[in-house]
Amino acid sequence: MKKFLAAFLALAMIASLLPAALADGGLEPITLTVFRGDPGDQPDENNKIYKLIEEEFGIKFEFEFLAGDLDETLGLKIANEDYPDLFDGGNSADLIINNGALINLLDYISPEKTPRLWAHIEPQKARIIEKDAEGNDVLYIIPNYGLGEGEQIANEINGPAFFVQKQVLEWAGYPQIKTLNQYFDVLEKFLAANPTDENGSPYIGFDILCEDWRHFCLINPVQHLMGRPNDGEVLVDVSTPEYKTETFIDKPYAKAYYKKLNEEFHKGLISKDTFVMNYDQYIAQISSGTVLGMFDQTWDFGNATNALRTAKMDNKTYIALGLVYDPEYVDGKEIEEHYLNGSVPNIRRGFGISVNCKCPERIIAMWEEMLSEKWQLIFNWGIEGEDYYVENGRLLMTKEQFAQTQDSTWQKANKARAFFESSPKRQGWILEGEFAGNCWEPGNQPEIYFDQMTDYDKAFLSAYGYQKPADFVNPPIQLAPYGEAWQIDYTPVDIEHQDFLNIQDKRLPEMIMCDPAEFDAKWDAFVEEITPSATAFGDFMQQAILKEAAKVDPNVVLPE
Amino acid sequence: MSIVRNAQGKEIRAKNKGFFRTLFSQWQLMVMSVPMLLYVLLFNYGPMWGWVTAFQDYKPKLGMLGSKFVGLKNFEWLFTRQDFINSIRNTLAMSVINLVFGTVSSILLAILLNEVRNRGFKRTVQTVTYLPHFLSMVIVVGMAQNIFSSNGAVNALLMNLGLVREPVFFLGEGKYFWWLVGVINVWKEVGWNTIIYISAMTAIDPCLYEAASIDGAGRFHKIMNVTLPGIRSTFVILLIMNIGHLMEAGFEIQYLLGSSVVMDWSQTIDVFVLQYGISKQQYGVATAAGMFKSIVAIILLVSANAISRRLGEDTLI
Repeated sequence: MKKFLAAFLALAMIASLLPAALADGGLEPITLTVFRGDPGDQPDENNKIYKLIEEEFGIKFEFEFLAGDLDETLGLKIANEDYPDLFDGGNSADLIINNGALINLLDYISPEKTPRLWAHIEPQKARIIEKDAEGNDVLYIIPNYGLGEGEQIANEINGPAFFVQKQVLEWAGYPQIKTLNQYFDVLEKFLAANPTDENGSPYIGFDILCEDWRHFCLINPVQHLMGRPNDGEVLVDVSTPEYKTETFIDKPYAKAYYKKLNEEFHKGLISKDTFVMNYDQYIAQISSGTVLGMFDQTWDFGNATNALRTAKMDNKTYIALGLVYDPEYVDGKEIEEHYLNGSVPNIRRGFGISVNCKCPERIIAMWEEMLSEKWQLIFNWGIEGEDYYVENGRLLMTKEQFAQTQDSTWQKANKARAFFESSPKRQGWILEGEFAGNCWEPGNQPEIYFDQMTDYDKAFLSAYGYQKPADFVNPPIQLAPYGEAWQIDYTPVDIEHQDFLNIQDKRLPEMIMCDPAEFDAKWDAFVEEITPSATAFGDFMQQAILKEAAKVDPNVVLPE
Repeated sequence: MSIVRNAQGKEIRAKNKGFFRTLFSQWQLMVMSVPMLLYVLLFNYGPMWGWVTAFQDYKPKLGMLGSKFVGLKNFEWLFTRQDFINSIRNTLAMSVINLVFGTVSSILLAILLNEVRNRGFKRTVQTVTYLPHFLSMVIVVGMAQNIFSSNGAVNALLMNLGLVREPVFFLGEGKYFWWLVGVINVWKEVGWNTIIYISAMTAIDPCLYEAASIDGAGRFHKIMNVTLPGIRSTFVILLIMNIGHLMEAGFEIQYLLGSSVVMDWSQTIDVFVLQYGISKQQYGVATAAGMFKSIVAIILLVSANAISRRLGEDTLI
C-alpha cells in the first residue's frame, strides 16, 4: 500500500510539472486573479477558449464574481488592499480608481508599442483619457463596450424604455403607443378583459423594481418622458452650450408621473408587493409571463427574456416603447421622444490592472494581440467549423449553432464570457480584411439577426410594418459632448447623493400608495425634504457636465 | 480559590504565601492559560488600536499614520443625522423585543417539554423546534417574504377568517417591521434557546417535586414553586449576557428583510454603518459608530450586573 501511495504521489508530482514544461515561447505560465463587479458563472475547467488562451499566452485566470452588494465588496477590498490582478469595479469603478488601486495604462500603451490598442481608443481619446489631480494624462480602464467601428447598429433598444408584453398590443389590434396615457390605457383595458392568464394566475399590470441600485426603474423614467436619453438622475438642456443641468425628481413635471402612478395603483394596476420585491423575485415574476409592463433597461431582465423564450411564450416577451408625456402634463408642450442615444464609450467600465499585479506588460501584450481579427473572431464567433461557418466571405451560424450560444450551460464550456465581457473589444462592423462588411458580433450579423427571429416576432413586427424592434422609437440622436451623465464620477458628493437617493426610495413608493387626497401635501413635503441634497447634487453635476463637455466642445465656457 | 492541588495531587495552602510564590506553585495552570491570554490580546485587544481611525478622516491609501486627525467630527456627523438616531432606536427596540419574545417563548417551551412524560414525543418536538436554528437567514427571510406577502399564507388565513378585509401589507409598513423580526427570530431560535433551560431543569433535584406532591401541590404549583425557582440563576445569567448584547439587534435579518419603504424602521446601527461607512468609504465614521456601540454595551453589561448584585442574585463578573 505504501509503495503504491509513493508511486502515486510521484506520478502526481510529475503530472503537475508537465504543463509548465509544455508551455512554449519561454513565457512562464502564470495565473491571474480576476474580480468581476457583477454576478456571473464560473467557466468549466475544460473551457475551450480559456485553453486556447493558456496555450498561446501561458495565462490562466482565477475568477471571483460579485456576491452581494458592490460598494460594500469594493469598500472591503480597498480597506484590506486586497486587489486582484485584473480588477473590474463594475458600476463603482470610481471608488477603486480614487483609492489608487489601479495603474495608469498610459505607461504601457502608445502608438509605437501597442498599435492595435492605440487605434482602438484613438477616435474617442478626448473622452477616454482623463486628467488626474496633478493634471497628468491618465487611463485606468479601457472601456469594455461602446468603441464601435463603422455605422452604429441599432436593431434593438438595449437601454431604458417602457416595456409592454407583445400580447397586449396584439390583443389591442397593434395600436401606436407614444404617450404615458396611451400606455396605461392599453394596460388597463387588457387587464380588465384578461384578469388572469391561461393557467389562472392573475396578471400584474405594472411592476416597479426598487431594490438597491436597480431603483432606476422607480426614479429614472421622468427624464425620458421629457424627451432625453439616459442621463442618470439629472435632466440636461443640450440645446445651448450652457448645458443647464437640474435634478428632475423634485420638479413639477415629475409630480405628474408619480401622480399618474398613484392613480394606477388605486385602479389595481400596481401591486403593493412590487415595492418590497427583490431582484430575484422580480425576475421570477417576469419569467412567469404575468407582468404586463414595466419601466426597466433591456439588459436588466435578459434572463427573464431567455426564460420566456425557452418556455415558448414569445407573445409574453416584451417590446420597448419610447413614451413621452402627453401635452396636458407639460403645459401643452409637444415633446419629441429620444430614447436611443449615439453610441457611448463605456468610460471607466471594464478591467483595470491593479497595483498589486506583478506582470502588467504581459496583460497589455495579451490584450494587444487579442484585438487582432483572429482573436476577436474566437471570442465572438468561436471556432470555425465548430461554432460557425464561412460562405462567400460571410460569417454565418446555423440555427442550432446560434441557439446554443444563448444557452448558459453551453457558454460555460465554450465561451470566455467572464474574461471577454470586461476586456477591450471591437464592436460594430468589420471594416477591412477578408471579412469586411460582416459584424464583429454574431447577434448583429444581418443574416443571423433577421433570419433567426421567431415567427411570432416576425409577424408582430410586420403587423406594424416594422423591420426591427428599434423601429418603435426614433433613430439614435447625436451623443451629447459630455457623454451620458450617469457616467460622471460623483464621489465628491457621495453622501449628499446617497441621501438624495434614500429620500426618493422612501418617499416615492409612499406617495404612489397614498390616499389620492393626500398626494399633493405629501409631494410638497417630499420636495422640501429633498431640496438640500438635490441642490448639492445638482450643482455638482452642473459643474461636472460642463467640465466633461469642455473636453470636446470648444463653445463651452467653464465658470471660474 | 485558596486551595489548589499541585502536580502530585497534594493539597497545598496558598493563602498565606506571597503572590509570586502562589504564581510559581501554580505554574501548570499559568502555562495552560497562556494560549488563551495570547488569543485575547491578539484578537480582542490588538484590533482596538484601530479605534484611532474613529478620530481620523481615514483613507486606506494614506494608512493610519498618514490620515488626518479630525477630532470628534465623525461622532458629530453621526449624531446630527436623523437616520443614525433612528437606527439606534430601531436597534434597541428590536433587541428588547427579541429579548422578551425569545426568553418568554423558550422558557414556556422548556416548561412544556419538561412536563411531557413520553420521551419519544419530547425528543421529536425538541428536534423539530431547534432545526430552524441551522437554516441560513437568507432562506428564513425568503420564506418569511413568501408567507407574509399580500397573497401569502398569513394574509390568506386572516382573510378567510374574516379578520381583515384587505391583505395586510406586512412587509411594506414600518409599524409591523419590529414585530415581524421578533416573530421570525422566535421561530428560528426558540428550540435552540430551550436547550439550556431544559438542562437547567434536569439539574433540579427530583426530591423537591416529590416533596411538593406530598404537600399536595398540583402540576401548576410545582411549575411555579419548583421549576421556575430552579432555573432562576440560569435565567439571570443569560439575561445579563443578553443585556450586554442589546446593541446587537442582528444584522442579516434587517438587511435582508428591510426595503427602502420601511428603511426608517428597519435600519439598525450595523446596516447604517455598512451603507454610509463601508460603501461610501467613510471608514472613520464606521469605526466611530462601532466604538459607540461597544461603549454602550459595556455600560449596559456593568449596570445589569450591578443591579443583579444589589438584588442579591447571581452575577456574571
